[in-house]
Amino acid sequence: MIIAVSGKGGTGKTLVSSLLIKALSDTQNDILAIDADPDSNLPEALGVDVHKTVGDVREELKEDTARGRIPTGMNKWDILDYKIMESIVETPNFDLLVMGRPEGSGCYCAVNNMLRRIIENLSSNYDVIVIDTEAGLEHLSRRTTQNVDVMLVVTDKSKRGILTAQRIGQLAEELEIKFQELYLVLNRVNAENEEEILKKAKETGLEMVGVIYEDDEVTQYDIEGRPLVELPDESKTVKTVSGILSRIKVE
Amino acid sequence: MFEDIPVDVSPMYEGERIRAANMFVELAGPKSMGAELVQVEENVEDGKIEVIGSELDAMQEGDVHPLGILIEIQGEHLEKELEGVIERRTHELCNYVKGFMHLNQRDAIWCRVSKEALEAGFKLEHLAKTLSTLFKEEFPLIESIAVTILTEPAMVEEFVSRAKEEYQTRDARARELSDEDVDVFYGCVMCQSFAPTHVCVVTPDRTALCGAINWFDCRAAAKMDPEGPIFEVEKGEVIDDVKGEYSNVNSVLMERSQGTVDKVYLHSVFEYPHTSCGCFEAVAFYIPELDGIGIVDRDFRGETPLGIPFSAMAGQCSGGKQVEGFTGLSLEYMRSPKFLQADGGFERIVWLPKEIKDSVEEYIPEDMMDKIPTEEDGSTLKEIRSFLEEKGHPIIERMETTSTETPEEEITFEEETSEEWGEMEPEVMQMAPVAYAPELTMPSSGGVKIIFKNAKVYAEKVIIKKK
Repeated sequence: MIIAVSGKGGTGKTLVSSLLIKALSDTQNDILAIDADPDSNLPEALGVDVHKTVGDVREELKEDTARGRIPTGMNKWDILDYKIMESIVETPNFDLLVMGRPEGSGCYCAVNNMLRRIIENLSSNYDVIVIDTEAGLEHLSRRTTQNVDVMLVVTDKSKRGILTAQRIGQLAEELEIKFQELYLVLNRVNAENEEEILKKAKETGLEMVGVIYEDDEVTQYDIEGRPLVELPDESKTVKTVSGILSRIKVE
Repeated sequence: MFEDIPVDVSPMYEGERIRAANMFVELAGPKSMGAELVQVEENVEDGKIEVIGSELDAMQEGDVHPLGILIEIQGEHLEKELEGVIERRTHELCNYVKGFMHLNQRDAIWCRVSKEALEAGFKLEHLAKTLSTLFKEEFPLIESIAVTILTEPAMVEEFVSRAKEEYQTRDARARELSDEDVDVFYGCVMCQSFAPTHVCVVTPDRTALCGAINWFDCRAAAKMDPEGPIFEVEKGEVIDDVKGEYSNVNSVLMERSQGTVDKVYLHSVFEYPHTSCGCFEAVAFYIPELDGIGIVDRDFRGETPLGIPFSAMAGQCSGGKQVEGFTGLSLEYMRSPKFLQADGGFERIVWLPKEIKDSVEEYIPEDMMDKIPTEEDGSTLKEIRSFLEEKGHPIIERMETTSTETPEEEITFEEETSEEWGEMEPEVMQMAPVAYAPELTMPSSGGVKIIFKNAKVYAEKVIIKKK
């Protein structure tokens, strides 16, 4: 089961991703979180340190190859496989893979081809994969990740957020990325803007799967830089996201 | 076959990863050390299994231990040269064991045993036994096999250093592998999505232009995915072993380049050079004024002796076009003994960026080392020429012997400019070319076609007007 969380930057993608992982941690599943947005801060929200990203590994391999540091008899697929495994942050509840920086100049055909196979194989070892992906769907379009089962598009009341949500729906169609389900999640809703935002949401044509209300506790965590996964189980936002999880049928 | 092994053994478990959360112990890997080694020996006691050091049941959950896997084999037709090929299979075969993860090879292996496997009663002795059975099944040449698994730290340490020596010997042998030693090259069309007529030919002496894959990588890839973008190319008949032309390479190229390229010289920039995709690490370019070849790589930001930077040059010779006088190449190819051998190899190189020169230093013939200028010695043709003369670069002799047949356009050029510039050589011109084309066809009539090769257009003034 692959769940991708997307939306315009700053709309609350990482909040949704990290709380989905928190909710999933209570199940018996093997969980892999993938941070596929170079601008996101999923590791911070999950409260883990990242030492190496897939991007770093990619550059390392390129550098070693160019400098002639790889022994003749060694297979680059296997070396890359090892390095990717090394870059995974492993915790008792979930593992995290960070895609990291975008490519530099030069040819990435071969290394991306290898990476795609390796990440596909790696992913097949997990029951649930949650991908925090940028709105451009770069990683999905380059097939760094397999086809996605559920795509959650997060938006707040901002016009650009809603437009982006709409565009993601279209983009997915154009790029021929197959989603089983595509849902909208509304964030930062309050009593005053509720009616307006629901109306706008309807116009996107996407099915809504959850409404997250403004939450002082979440804001406080953000201000203090505390990991969002540490929010108490009684938090209303935590409960809303758990609700989303049951609606998209993950046991 | 594996009744006495407490866990499943099957190819379906290949690619199995064991998360830290589900892991009992970790063996070798980044936090410890380890190695695997296949050795052809005499008097191997068939079926012998041994575990030296702690067995799994003596380890604590979450432990990290060193690991050595020694596989000794014997057989009438087994040769030492096969050790590497057989050892390569250890990764795959270890992974057949459910609950045992194995990554990478040689002294960079990383293994884990799952909690589940331990609970089922799995021991390292079972791993040894499985390997013993599987290796014999996979390689009928193996008549006797003995497997030793080491976890005792001091012994693993000693084993790892012994293994490293073996790998080095093997690599030295592999580096000597040349185009003549194999019957099969590889073709790669991974870049055809943006260079639809480009086919990379990868041989033991010539890695792919992107620098990412060599002949061994291709062999592994073609075996893993025979329908994939990397495929076998039988050499066929040798047409010219110096230029690197092979009958079947030509035919495969014709077929895979959509009929665009029907002939290629693997080791020359002249006549039929290898095509370029667009993502090569460096470009070799002919400098007509010096009759020599320059090299420039992607990281070099300045201007080349042709008066244009890498990016402009790359634009002109990429996209799967065969452009005489230019060829994309990988930095690794400069370490090959066949590096542009048809053109004279390093003796024909008259300019290259300092950074590349340093990185291939060991491969430049000793007597050429000081004779090849870099951007530090000069980037204009005049500077380069005086450097070459001063250092006695072999190209000077070459230029002198061929100067009797000076190309016509140069004569005209000198005539035109002689009044103004007196004694100066034509190549001292400091103006930058406003247009540069490796091949330029002039509009003409009267049944003739005029083609300028390596044409540069100089102008005193360029006026761009809106129509």
